[in-house]
Amino acid sequence: MSAPSLAPFIARRPWLRKWVQPLSNWYCNAAGYRQLGLRADDLIPEENDVVQLALKRLPPKEAYDRVYRLRRAIQCSVAHQLLPKDQWTKPEEDTPYLTQIVEEVETEMKEREDLEAMIITKRTQNAKGH
Amino acid sequence: MLSRSTLCRGAQRAARRQAAPAVQRRGLAAPASGSFQYQSGEAKGVKFASRDLSGPTTTLALVAKAGTRYQTLPGLTEGLANYAFRSTERRSALRIVRESELLGAELNSYHTRENLVLEARFLRDDLPYFVELLGEVAASTKFQPHVYNEEVVPLIHLNHKRFLASTVDMAINSAHSLAFHRGLGTPTASASITPYTKYLSPDAIEYWSKIAYAKSNFAIVANGAEHSELEKWVDQFFDNVPATPLENNTVGTQQSQYHGGEERIAHNGGNAMVLAFPGSSSFTGKFYKPEIAVLGSLLGGSSSIKWSPGFSVLSQAKSSPSTYVKTISATYSDAGLLYTLIAGTADNVAKTAEASVAAIKKIAAGEISPEEISKAKAAAKFKELEFGQDVKAGVELTGSGLVHNTKAYQIDEVAKAIDGVSEQTLKAAAKSLLEGKATVSAVGDLFVLPYAEDLGLKV
Repeated sequence: MSAPSLAPFIARRPWLRKWVQPLSNWYCNAAGYRQLGLRADDLIPEENDVVQLALKRLPPKEAYDRVYRLRRAIQCSVAHQLLPKDQWTKPEEDTPYLTQIVEEVETEMKEREDLEAMIITKRTQNAKGH
Repeated sequence: MLSRSTLCRGAQRAARRQAAPAVQRRGLAAPASGSFQYQSGEAKGVKFASRDLSGPTTTLALVAKAGTRYQTLPGLTEGLANYAFRSTERRSALRIVRESELLGAELNSYHTRENLVLEARFLRDDLPYFVELLGEVAASTKFQPHVYNEEVVPLIHLNHKRFLASTVDMAINSAHSLAFHRGLGTPTASASITPYTKYLSPDAIEYWSKIAYAKSNFAIVANGAEHSELEKWVDQFFDNVPATPLENNTVGTQQSQYHGGEERIAHNGGNAMVLAFPGSSSFTGKFYKPEIAVLGSLLGGSSSIKWSPGFSVLSQAKSSPSTYVKTISATYSDAGLLYTLIAGTADNVAKTAEASVAAIKKIAAGEISPEEISKAKAAAKFKELEFGQDVKAGVELTGSGLVHNTKAYQIDEVAKAIDGVSEQTLKAAAKSLLEGKATVSAVGDLFVLPYAEDLGLKV
């Protein structure tokens, strides 16, 4: 599920982005998931309806790759090892492949909620005739 | 004993009704102008036609020249029809559904051999909303893969199952493919799962939509809308559809050729036979032959009158009342098929098939009384007029006429053409059916169902 984030706010301001970007790069590398061959989106907790639905909508190839990355990472974790350096996730590979779909599902669900809660007023135009 | 006053009451009432002002006499269904003529026009390259039937509802349709005849890969038309009114760039499918429900509208999409029709029926005041909706569906539907997997493919699959279970549908489609091979002969539903497992994908459907919903390829038709209103909104909401097709589609555009032949399909679920002959194109097409419509209603088969088998030759000749017989003149933009459809138990179907060939021979020999011919003409005229007046059929015919040769379907003229059919032309038409190659397809118990040769038809 998408958590509240400062990222859009920062990305909109180039001067601020220039300051924060190095910090973000350092943090992502220090977080250690790239050394296990994972992507940031692999870490999204999947035990809820929204992400489950989003996972279902992944293209077959993406879904397969995701499972492969997760299994490889678990294997590494069990063996208390990191992957060889050439297999680490490169920053340009670390794309938000799932976040977009999660956001789409969230807007869909929100829209449904909004439509359920809608209060209808009759148009004056139709109220008079027909 | 009837009193004088009782007898006269009806007459008095009738007289009183005559005297009532004209406005009160006009029912809801009667047109304000007294004419069913369509007005047609063009706004920024989008062709449209409308007729202002008085009444509180409107039927609006987008008729695209994208039926199964024109599809570049099998299944595309069905896929596109099932993608209609799904999520667009601006609105989700859910919002479209909820908003239409709030306005009390009906949305529908279907396809025929030649056309793909997106149809909306709604209250008159809501015209702008639905013109905008059709513009949006045509221009910016999102062809999402998960919608394809979850909704489009299952619907196509169900349609395929239904097709396989229906001997009548199989016989009609088989006759069309024998008669026209490709193009018009392309089946309207998938006969196997190959089309949608091998050729169909969201990307292919999206590409096809850019051809189907190009300005030169569709027309907007409205029943019960003011012409000037429609023009205003069509002008405004169809800016985003492609002006020309993404690719110049040549599939199915060549003149349809009639081939004919015979096909026999074994089936456990019933018996159906189709005896088909080259027919007439629709009135808006170039090969319109009114005598085919009259011949169709003369052969007939099913009754339009309660408690009577009907006057038509086949309804008299069919072997049992439970046998379903109907003669249909299927008209398309540049060709047509006159076919007799027989369904029932195998024995009865076989006997009725023989009887129907005998009936055509009888008509060709001129052994039909003028009374029956005038009955057939009246029935054909009624059927055509009713067909044109019927909003659904009229919408498709008009749209297809506009897209193909910029002529709307004018039923007044059709009626005139049918009135002009003489006994001689009818006889000549029946004779030409027997001389040319016939199309015969039998589906069901092949042990009993006859071959074309046994019936005395050339294939």
